Amino acid sequence: MSAFPMLFPNSAFPINLTTIAMMILAGLVVIIFLRVAASRLSVREPGKMQNLVEWIIEFTANMAKDTMPSQRLVQWVLPLAFTMLLFLFVSNWLGVIATVSINTNHPIPWLGITAQKLAQAHGEVPLYDSPTANMSMTLGMAFMVWVISHFQGLKTPRKWLRHYKNPMFIIEEITNPLTHGMRLYGNIFAGEALIGVILSIPILYHVIPIGLPLLLVWLFYSAFVSSIQAYVFTILMTLYIGHKSYGEQTDH
Amino acid sequence: MFELGTFVVSIVTFLILFLIIRKVGFEPLNNMLEKRRQYVMNELSEAERARKMSESQLNEQKAILEDAKRQVKEMLDTARVRADDQAREILLQAQEEAQRLLESSRQLIERERAEAMNAVLASVASLTVQLSEGLLRHHVTETEHQSMMDEAQQRLGELVC
Repeated sequence: MSAFPMLFPNSAFPINLTTIAMMILAGLVVIIFLRVAASRLSVREPGKMQNLVEWIIEFTANMAKDTMPSQRLVQWVLPLAFTMLLFLFVSNWLGVIATVSINTNHPIPWLGITAQKLAQAHGEVPLYDSPTANMSMTLGMAFMVWVISHFQGLKTPRKWLRHYKNPMFIIEEITNPLTHGMRLYGNIFAGEALIGVILSIPILYHVIPIGLPLLLVWLFYSAFVSSIQAYVFTILMTLYIGHKSYGEQTDH
Repeated sequence: MFELGTFVVSIVTFLILFLIIRKVGFEPLNNMLEKRRQYVMNELSEAERARKMSESQLNEQKAILEDAKRQVKEMLDTARVRADDQAREILLQAQEEAQRLLESSRQLIERERAEAMNAVLASVASLTVQLSEGLLRHHVTETEHQSMMDEAQQRLGELVC
């Protein structure tokens, strides 16, 4: 278990600074990417960048069309789905490209890096990591989606309430956000954990890196999983929100 | 290991990032996409309209051409008919003219012949009288001479006619 730098480590409200910083970094990457794309917008002659971004928007819109009951809701959810897709994609990839840790033997108690934790983590303090490799963050995203979907549902309270005649749906309300968040976390965390394990394979006779082919294979697979998980999380988000939009069910 | 602080702060962070990204990145791109769609639709409808217009214009031109051809044919036909008529008329006039000329010249000849004949008669009569005077050696009075002239003229006229 890595020793993440924490704010308020011993209270009931610990904040993982690496995760939040990485979220902001991922957001900045997305913003810069979109600004670069937006700086060369043209109605008549779209550039490669513009084509790419338009393709992403089109892709997200198709995704939303498949899961949302009406065209109005597709337009409503489109910015959120677009942001979520790009943000998660970048977040997942950040960890595949690199994870950076510093090795320290100096405990910093106010950041939660205690001597005991350092000993557990062999002195590794991660500073650069996928934000989605943190369970609390992915569950936070899933919870946010859950809240949005119920806001949609409560626009028509009677239908929303009638939905819960069957108690199975109450269980679903717990399992859906839980699996939604844990799926993303599990995939990304497992990918990074295995990369770390492969990296720790010793180099034979100090020249033959026996772990290298394994690492390459796993990096490719991780990259694939990172892209797929961003897609899966986003489409499940539109699906959950779409399912709760009872008011618009008619014009599908 | 669940961290409540990370949970809450990541939601807040994401929402802030979402608002920024929507404002800064998504909306201009989506507007552009919308504009592009509008532009393409406009171009398509414009092209369709232009095609229809050119088609109708082509038809119009064809109709005008057809009309012009028809008119030319008509004009040619009427011109031909008129030319034929005129030619016939001219021919008739010419024939008439010729007839008239022939007639008048014939009359002229007749008249001149008659005049010449009269002149000859007069001179023959006077010659006859002079001859008879010479033969008769007879003094003839003016009145007798006149009566003889008349007689001779009358006789000659009867003889000639």
